[in-house]
Amino acid sequence: MSELVSTSSLSSDRRAGSLRANLPAGWGTAATVAAAWVVLIIVSGLHRADFLSHQTVLAVSFTMAIVGILAVAQALIGISGAILDLSQPAALILVAYVVSIALTAGVPVALVVIIGVLVGAGWGLLNALVIVYGKLNPIIVTLATNFIGVAVMFLIYQNAQAPLKSSFSDFGRGYFLGLPNIWWPMLVLIALVGFLLPRTRYGRHTIAVGGNRFAAKARGISLRRTRFVTFIASGAIVGLAGILFAASNGPFAPSAGSTYQLPVIAGVILAGVSLTGGRGSIWLILLSVGFLSTVPTALVFFGLSSNWQAVFQGLILVLAVAIDGYRAKRLSR
Amino acid sequence: MSAEMASTSPGSADRRRLRDLLTGSVTSIAVTLAVVVALGVTWVGPTFLSAGNVTIIGTYVAVPMLIAAFSGFALLAGVVDLSIGSMVGFSSATFASLVSFGWNLWAAAAVTLVCCLGFGAINAIAIVVFGADAIAATLGMLVALRGVSYILAGPNGSVAAFDDGFYGFTNLTVGPLPLLFVITLGVIVVAAIIVSRTRLGRHVQAVGGDDRAATRGGISVTGIRVAALLLSAFGAGIGGILYVGQLGSASNLTGTGLEFQVYAAMMIGGYSILRGGVGNPIGAALGLLVVAGTANILDVQAISPYFTNIIVGLLLLAAVLLDRLRGGDAFE
Repeated sequence: MSELVSTSSLSSDRRAGSLRANLPAGWGTAATVAAAWVVLIIVSGLHRADFLSHQTVLAVSFTMAIVGILAVAQALIGISGAILDLSQPAALILVAYVVSIALTAGVPVALVVIIGVLVGAGWGLLNALVIVYGKLNPIIVTLATNFIGVAVMFLIYQNAQAPLKSSFSDFGRGYFLGLPNIWWPMLVLIALVGFLLPRTRYGRHTIAVGGNRFAAKARGISLRRTRFVTFIASGAIVGLAGILFAASNGPFAPSAGSTYQLPVIAGVILAGVSLTGGRGSIWLILLSVGFLSTVPTALVFFGLSSNWQAVFQGLILVLAVAIDGYRAKRLSR
Repeated sequence: MSAEMASTSPGSADRRRLRDLLTGSVTSIAVTLAVVVALGVTWVGPTFLSAGNVTIIGTYVAVPMLIAAFSGFALLAGVVDLSIGSMVGFSSATFASLVSFGWNLWAAAAVTLVCCLGFGAINAIAIVVFGADAIAATLGMLVALRGVSYILAGPNGSVAAFDDGFYGFTNLTVGPLPLLFVITLGVIVVAAIIVSRTRLGRHVQAVGGDDRAATRGGISVTGIRVAALLLSAFGAGIGGILYVGQLGSASNLTGTGLEFQVYAAMMIGGYSILRGGVGNPIGAALGLLVVAGTANILDVQAISPYFTNIIVGLLLLAAVLLDRLRGGDAFE
């Protein structure tokens, strides 16, 4: 305490503190996740040398693609202080369904892609309308819209699929530079959003609103407009995921999106996105989702059934949020 | 806060309680329930209230209501436990496995409940000790325990554990009401008395309402939240065991989605999964009756059960909107 008496040392101390909070915390998270990933790969490779194969890389990157894109959408919601969007599963499948129907009806692929992104953005707009005008908490609103959305889709159809012999499905199952085609849009998206978020006006507004909404409001940032932009952008990104989902998957039921919920939330939290908003790196999603997507493949090599995948992913999430909570506790002290 | 409470005379406290009751969430949910019953009687006809149909609704709602009575303490203390659906599945899979190995029912139930408390303790350590976000942490536990249930249920996806005596017990009735439902009502009443009439109940409400103020008031926030999460796991454990009695087996799908059904009903009944200190077990029971009544009307009329989910989702939004208009937290 005694060192804090003089104001000059106080301010320098605080500057050092905030630097420590921003830079090294992010690097610490990155190093931790990367270390966990490397350990997982080494242990699996020592156990079964054939784990280190192109086949594994394909399996991991295939899983990564859609989880990674959804994680970017979820991270935007988290960074903006809107906590979580629990309606991603319904939105993902709604887009995939609309895309499949449109393709079956013979709509050209370019138009279908636009429709898919618009449907996703429209879903985000719907959520934002209820959240902003009802002044209701996003978790409860998206819990309800997911519930309603999946139920409505079940009333309309039981199983859908994009036409199999089409350039669309060929793209979804094809490869480029040794990796699945659908992996590359994820990489581009992470690079784009990771680059633009801190460098554009809306991006900075999103971070400011998430960090302290009252301070942001005092600075003249419109909370409403920021909420709308965040949810519509996040929805459009879910739309992209829905398009790639339809291109790369077989028949899907309206409830098929629920399996993504947990890896996406775990990926976002492991990437250091604070659920209380204002903090998080889009780039780290590449590491966290890569690590999480390696777990199922590694388990297969250890001879464990796919049921263990749920056990491990669930416990990893519990551990991740425990670490996140501990870190937040220490920072606030 | 406590000094202010002590200074108001008991008479004005009673009057305030009456006023809160008339404008509060229990009243609005009671009105909703009356609407559902009226709708049932006019649409389905008098058979809606026939002994046979009342037994069906009572059997359907008894176990979720019992689970809600316990997990309500976690919500009240400000720590939501989303893992209850899978905890129910885990409990029934464990109990059924032990019974199928030839274990005595009581021993199997005891070991099952201890296992549930163990997983509840992991929730409690992550959330209370480390400060993990309760929704995310228990969502992780939800998925992990579902995985364990799949592993326990084995390749067939279910474990048969039929016991004549237990099956008979879960199907006993008192008049038109299932015995389990009557017992659950008793538990709800006890929980309501604890919440509104005892010091312990006030402490739980204080912890959920404002944990810093509660700490200053000398209440152990850690102790109450850990106990509440353990109670929630315990209640789900009991629920899972009772499902095995009712169905004679455990499936790897037992309890899937139950957490959303139960919490939606509880939020309709006045609880909040985001802030503690609000809600009453009576409201939770009425909320579950609204959902069960709605599901039953649609079922009798041969309408797709998915409409129940749509109605529950809309009711949930209406309930949180009503709660906010009544002075609940506004989100900006």
